[in-house]
Amino acid sequence: MSERLHAVRVIGRLKVRETLIGPGYYITLTLGLLLGYFLVRGFTASVDSSGFNYHLHPVYDLIGRSLEGVFGATFVEQLFAEGPFLFALSVCFVPVFIYLAVSSVFRFGLEKKVGALELLAYGPADGAAYFLASFVKDLLLSLLSLAIIACFLLAAALMNNLLLGPMFAYSLVLILFFSLSIYAYGILASSLTENSGSAIALFTGIILFFLIILLGSFTIVSDYVQTLSRVFAWVVQWLSPFFYSNLGLQAVQAGETGKIVLSLILLLTVSGALLFLSHITLKVKGVRA
Amino acid sequence: MKKIWAFMLLFFAGFMLYGDVPVRKEQLIYTILAFNGKDYSPTFSGEFSDAIYLIAGVDNFLSVRKTLVYYWPITGEWKTDTESLNVLFEGRLELKTGGEDPRMLEQKKYTYYNIRGEYELNWKVDQGEKAEEAWARYQDILNAYWDSVQEYQKAKYVYDLMFQELIKKTGELREAGEDVSELLKNLETLHPPEQPEYPKEYIVPPVQVQEAFILNLPVGEYGIRLFTEEGAVMEDSERRVVVFNKRRDQGIGLEVIPGDRWTRPVESKRPASVLYMDGSTDIYLRPFFQQEYNDLFYEKLKKNDSRGNPNLMKWVRIQQVPEARIEVIGSDRNPVTVLEKPYYVEQVKGAALGYRIVPYDPEGAHKDRDPSLKAFHIAISRGERRIKLRVRDKMGNVLTGSERQIRIIRSPGTGTVLIVLALLPLLAMMIVRSRRSRKHTL
Repeated sequence: MSERLHAVRVIGRLKVRETLIGPGYYITLTLGLLLGYFLVRGFTASVDSSGFNYHLHPVYDLIGRSLEGVFGATFVEQLFAEGPFLFALSVCFVPVFIYLAVSSVFRFGLEKKVGALELLAYGPADGAAYFLASFVKDLLLSLLSLAIIACFLLAAALMNNLLLGPMFAYSLVLILFFSLSIYAYGILASSLTENSGSAIALFTGIILFFLIILLGSFTIVSDYVQTLSRVFAWVVQWLSPFFYSNLGLQAVQAGETGKIVLSLILLLTVSGALLFLSHITLKVKGVRA
Repeated sequence: MKKIWAFMLLFFAGFMLYGDVPVRKEQLIYTILAFNGKDYSPTFSGEFSDAIYLIAGVDNFLSVRKTLVYYWPITGEWKTDTESLNVLFEGRLELKTGGEDPRMLEQKKYTYYNIRGEYELNWKVDQGEKAEEAWARYQDILNAYWDSVQEYQKAKYVYDLMFQELIKKTGELREAGEDVSELLKNLETLHPPEQPEYPKEYIVPPVQVQEAFILNLPVGEYGIRLFTEEGAVMEDSERRVVVFNKRRDQGIGLEVIPGDRWTRPVESKRPASVLYMDGSTDIYLRPFFQQEYNDLFYEKLKKNDSRGNPNLMKWVRIQQVPEARIEVIGSDRNPVTVLEKPYYVEQVKGAALGYRIVPYDPEGAHKDRDPSLKAFHIAISRGERRIKLRVRDKMGNVLTGSERQIRIIRSPGTGTVLIVLALLPLLAMMIVRSRRSRKHTL
């Protein structure tokens, strides 16, 4: 066990270093921060004597009307009730999150295909140590990214006299736990498939499926889509990180601390279960592509 | 030939000028009078809907009728044409809930009304005999009022005659150079009759007694269908009834009226929400009690064909907080209690147009006029950064969920600093890569 932990630490450190050497992480992080900048600036330009009115700014008008059309006025009201930061946090994190998730899946598949993973498995590390190292790398870089994003948004808040809001703090934690379960799905997709392409396809398929189910149950455009999504959601929601994150957000809005903690535990449980499933898969299938 | 073509073109274009007439379809509908937390909303459930939404623990009224239903695309609503067809069905309503024996409900006479009290919400529902009595009582009050109006008009007529007579006589005596002091004394003692006041017992008077199925149910999902007087099930009368309740009622909302746009008030409903202002004008606040409901259920309750989000909860304004006071804490951190005062809205003269809100002056500029609004005035200035406020009730207790923050946003002149901050990761990338390339070069 200690050997595996050692292997996780060594491979993890290597992976973090590899990611920090490449330009991808910095570019996606910058892209996220620039998006955050435009969202905060758009918000301040949308405030007049009667408060926040998204019709005052063209970008916010587009965002507000689109969201209101699909999810309803209540959704938009809740999203911007405390300011722009709940929305900005999600948008800022998306580029770096996608980069980390997809690059891990791609790397796993590639190293499996070229035999690097097999080579490692003949040495002191096994498949589980490899994917755990990848998971730790994603966890550490997500933490770093969220910290940078939070600092940037805090600076934006202070400069414009805005408030980050209590929902923001909870959302930071929720997003971290949510991203962990998505990374775990990436590892499972990589362990189930033979190469990078199919791993990315499977991973994207799973995430899009859960996302569409969630968005469908939120939509107000069509009663039929809403009902169908709710039926689907009822069946598959127990496996969806989106479902547990949404539970957490609802608990935050209702001020139910117990439910917030429960949703975090459930997100961790999903991640743990997926990692365990990946371990079993690698054990059964082996690390050879 | 060209003329024929031109004629045909005009002929067919003429048809295109007429819009589509909505197709009216005969349908069996449930007309619903549902209590929505503050008053009664009329709506209906036609073939387009399989469910009726009601609030738990209050009386709601359902009746079944056949009418013409059509879709009005301009507003995206379903509408009824009851003037052309409106057949009310008698019978009994079967109410089913999971695992229990169905209950049969009879139609009952009912009326509902809102009596005047300390709060706005004093809704009463009377059924059967009591409904008739309530209606009769209201009629008696109305009749008494109209009788007093008649009496007043008679007395006013007599008064006007006497007044004119006295004026005429005074004039004649004056012209003749005689003493008019006696007549003037009579004129002073002559008082006009008092105009009777419209009855103030009700805010909403009782509606005329009608018959309907009265549903007052606990939270749950039920099935209903209509049985005719012959005992047969009425076709298309099956519906689901979703009975729901508020999630929370410990919430205070604020109606925010900007000083320069009193026609465009906004509402701050979420306890954690922040009021962002540009600091260009003062604001006027009106606190209200609110309750939290499921968005979809509440929207469907008010209007059965409307849309809502089943995963979200929304706060619904119920009624104004009576005799409240607002505690304001500005940058000096000294709490100041603001009381509700009357204000008058004046139109701004000149090219600027718009309105401004000024203190109501009943003795001076606004004599014989009513105040435009009663609200709490909060002074806002651009120099202020943050104002905290909370609502206290008449006993001085802070109302739960009433705390808010007003933040006056700074003019966006900090863009460059933020852009530089956003580009810092790229700078870090360049440093890392240049160090690395230097290391490998060496």
